[in-house]
Amino acid sequence: MLEKTMLIKMNQQAYGTTMFQILTEDQIEQIYYAALDVLEVSGARVLHTEALQLLQQGDAIVTDNDRVRIPASLVKQALQSCPSKAALSGRNGKRSIKLQKNEVAFGSGPDATFVYDLKAGERRKCTFADVEAAAKIVDSLPRFDFCMSFGVVSDARSPKTHDRHQFMAMVKNCTKPLMVTSADAEGLKDQWEMACLIRGGEKEFRLNPLFATYIPSDTPLVYPKEMVDRLLFATQKGIPAVYSSCSGMGVTAPATIAGVLVQTLADSLVALVLSHLQKPGVPLILGGIQTVMDQNRKSFHFGSPELHLASAAIAEVYKWLKLLSSAPGGCSDSKIVDEQAASEAVMSVYNGLMAGTNLIHHAGSLEGGLTASLAGLVMCDEIIAMVKQIGKGIEVTDETLALDLLQEIGPGGEFLSHDHTFDHFRDWFQPTVIDRSNWETWTNAGSKTYQDRLVPEVDRLLEAHQPEPLDAKLIQEMKKIISLADKKEV
Amino acid sequence: MSTRTNQTINQTAQFRILSPDQKQRIFEGMIETLRDTGVHLHHEEARALLKEHGALIDDITVRIPQNLVLDALATVPPVTIVQSWDGTRKTRIEKNQVLFGPGPTPPNYTDPDTLERRKYVKNDASVVARVCEALPNIGFVQSLGTISDVTVSLADVYEFAEMIQNTTKPILSWSYTRDTCSDIHQIAVAMAGSEEAFKRCPNYVFYGEPISPLLSDFHAMDKLMYNAKHGIPQVYTPCCIGGATVPATHAGQLVCAFSESMLGVVVAQLLNPGTCVIMGGVQSIMDMQYSVYAYGSPELSLMSAALTEMAQYAGLPMFSTAGCTDTKTLDVQGAIEAATSVHSAMLSGANFIHDVGYFESGMTGSVLQLVMADEQIGMSHVVAKGIDVNEETLALEEICQVGPGGNYSDRDHTRKHAGALWAPTLMDRQGYEDWANQGQTTMRDRVIAKARNIIANFEGPISKVPPEAKKKIEDILKAAEEREAKKAAAEKK
Repeated sequence: MLEKTMLIKMNQQAYGTTMFQILTEDQIEQIYYAALDVLEVSGARVLHTEALQLLQQGDAIVTDNDRVRIPASLVKQALQSCPSKAALSGRNGKRSIKLQKNEVAFGSGPDATFVYDLKAGERRKCTFADVEAAAKIVDSLPRFDFCMSFGVVSDARSPKTHDRHQFMAMVKNCTKPLMVTSADAEGLKDQWEMACLIRGGEKEFRLNPLFATYIPSDTPLVYPKEMVDRLLFATQKGIPAVYSSCSGMGVTAPATIAGVLVQTLADSLVALVLSHLQKPGVPLILGGIQTVMDQNRKSFHFGSPELHLASAAIAEVYKWLKLLSSAPGGCSDSKIVDEQAASEAVMSVYNGLMAGTNLIHHAGSLEGGLTASLAGLVMCDEIIAMVKQIGKGIEVTDETLALDLLQEIGPGGEFLSHDHTFDHFRDWFQPTVIDRSNWETWTNAGSKTYQDRLVPEVDRLLEAHQPEPLDAKLIQEMKKIISLADKKEV
Repeated sequence: MSTRTNQTINQTAQFRILSPDQKQRIFEGMIETLRDTGVHLHHEEARALLKEHGALIDDITVRIPQNLVLDALATVPPVTIVQSWDGTRKTRIEKNQVLFGPGPTPPNYTDPDTLERRKYVKNDASVVARVCEALPNIGFVQSLGTISDVTVSLADVYEFAEMIQNTTKPILSWSYTRDTCSDIHQIAVAMAGSEEAFKRCPNYVFYGEPISPLLSDFHAMDKLMYNAKHGIPQVYTPCCIGGATVPATHAGQLVCAFSESMLGVVVAQLLNPGTCVIMGGVQSIMDMQYSVYAYGSPELSLMSAALTEMAQYAGLPMFSTAGCTDTKTLDVQGAIEAATSVHSAMLSGANFIHDVGYFESGMTGSVLQLVMADEQIGMSHVVAKGIDVNEETLALEEICQVGPGGNYSDRDHTRKHAGALWAPTLMDRQGYEDWANQGQTTMRDRVIAKARNIIANFEGPISKVPPEAKKKIEDILKAAEEREAKKAAAEKK
């Protein structure tokens, strides 16, 4: 062993993770200024009386009843008041999602009409039991950070209260933070009340939000009453809101990516201004789905590379504005879990993570979000793990460079039996459904494809995983809220 | 109209793994390893050459002083051009110029008709070359197999003869010995038309392999020297197995891989300053559960991208790896693993990204995996290209004219730009009913159909091969057969 004097390698800078960037600051600035121009020149339509009043008082210019033009100064105020940091906690109270620059969390998707039953090989309507199963799977998967509804509960007593039932199914079976969808502001209110019960009060929820509310919009720069209701309610109660502006290139937005970014940003900034005017300082996460779409079916394509590119770029724009971001990832246009679903999921997870998008939702969603799949969730867990492994980058230190080791072992030697290998091979990605066995081992085990192995893995998780139980009294209290809503609607 | 100034734009996405300081340390690690640990070189002539230039020789161990390494890097070419034999295609080997292609020499092949795994035969080489020729996102050709139905020692030559007549994309050929390396060279010259035409612009790239850790066998070095002397661009890259033939830590693996290639660079530059040598290789880890070299691991993606940055740091072109998988059949695992490595390699800016189409950890070649990856490369390309930001694409006027909630379908701006959106060939975006009515195909089904369609209907450039070149190739093969027969007879004695 060589004697070591104190040595220090000075002025060293390392990349702690991979570094990825689509746009330069100059390009982001151009998009930002163009968005401000859109708000001043053409503005937005706000179909909500109270919101119009707020805007008018806030120095926006309202014409033609509902057309609002917003000066750059007002946008600037809103930007300054919006926190660039928030957190979400599961029902056990642990702050498990940090919402801050370059922190990425992955979650399932919301409100699919159908589920694809891999075993039966067919698509059917989603039920309460499906939402429960999905929440349980999300709870069990190590790379899922938050839970969304998965599918619409079609067996609820009223089609208007499915959101409360979804909330129940999720919170019972998943201890991770939730991102919830609501049928309307009433639904959001009930969900919030249930969350306050779990937390032990409004203030406790405020300090430690259990969920974020996901508010999608598919008509850029138009703000329907019902949507604004939800946004304003969330702001009032300090519920972190995700405003998800969805647009189809060449249909509801320009066919150029820069153009769709401008329109999306303008659209999101209106939501930001509204939230600011209602109550400054409540976290608003901006996101959306910018992609190509099928004009006839009015459906967004969830697997297009344009989506992957635009999502990464808009996250960069939001980061630059010190705002929080969300985007879809791990989703597909395929109708089943196949090679297409895998390819499209990889691309969106990869670019979403590298861009530092805060909340990446819709993992495992199929058919442009219309179909959900438990197998898709499990597949995405493995994809996320692989991409995260790349995102870690490479550590360069004396220990990892291993020059002494190389000299000790020398040309033609082997490293398998050395302690250094034993000390470090656990840092590698460990496959779960992916199979690396050789031909003989694989054929002896029945020549099973990834999909063949996925089905029993889903069953295994459903069988083996027991989520931390939710207090029975709490469930009873929550059920009261739900049945009140059901009675009102039925 | 006002004017903008002081603008920096990203013309493509930017992706980095290593900081300048990290690259410097790995570079220093390579210098130190070649100088202090040294390499085993089983080639007397090469050792003598290195000794003459100041290397320290101790039996087969060669320790290379740093000035020799730095001198070699000073004479490597910044750009090399390979031109197809028919003159229609030029391929530039220069920093950040990306091409994808298959890999060489798996013993098995997935039959595209029966979907069974079987031995690779001569006809497969021409099929693979034609499929590569047909796929828009595949930029170079390797065989995806080792021909089993010809004279064993000439599998490399038959493969090249088959492939070069069926593609105009550059072939990365390999050979067993200097003799067959020369046969391949002669075939390439025949296709180029003349020795002069070939010298002016070579029409293929050679692929050779040192052995990890830090060892070059006689044939690898012998072929490297042949190609260097003849100015044939060549790859000299190891397959490093993390935790088995190199350290389990990625930084250590990068030092090893870099050092192994650099030996080739040094020898080639001493023989012929300015000749093109490409570094890189397959960089992955040993799967500790199955003792398999993992071709689908995320570590492969990560280390390949990092080694690409080291190549760029040193001013060398890069031979990288992607599109390969540990699966045994076309399935979701293959799609996950290929998409992950394809996108990483694309973003890294490597020159020749090979092994697209490998199944079973490199034990089986498959045009099906290749066809699927072609689509993934197309998707990756859209993201890698980044975003054009200018007056026209920002569409500010357009957005204001259409107004809130308006429709862009019938706009000139949309008509003008919608064509630039990516058009999938294997991804199905239909609604469930349409998809169900059309037979509920999976992507696997569509990949198989596309591959079979290309094989059945795409002819490739074979009819353009001049008859005199064909004749010459036959003569070269005949002479090679006679030579190998003599060798075999001599060995028997």
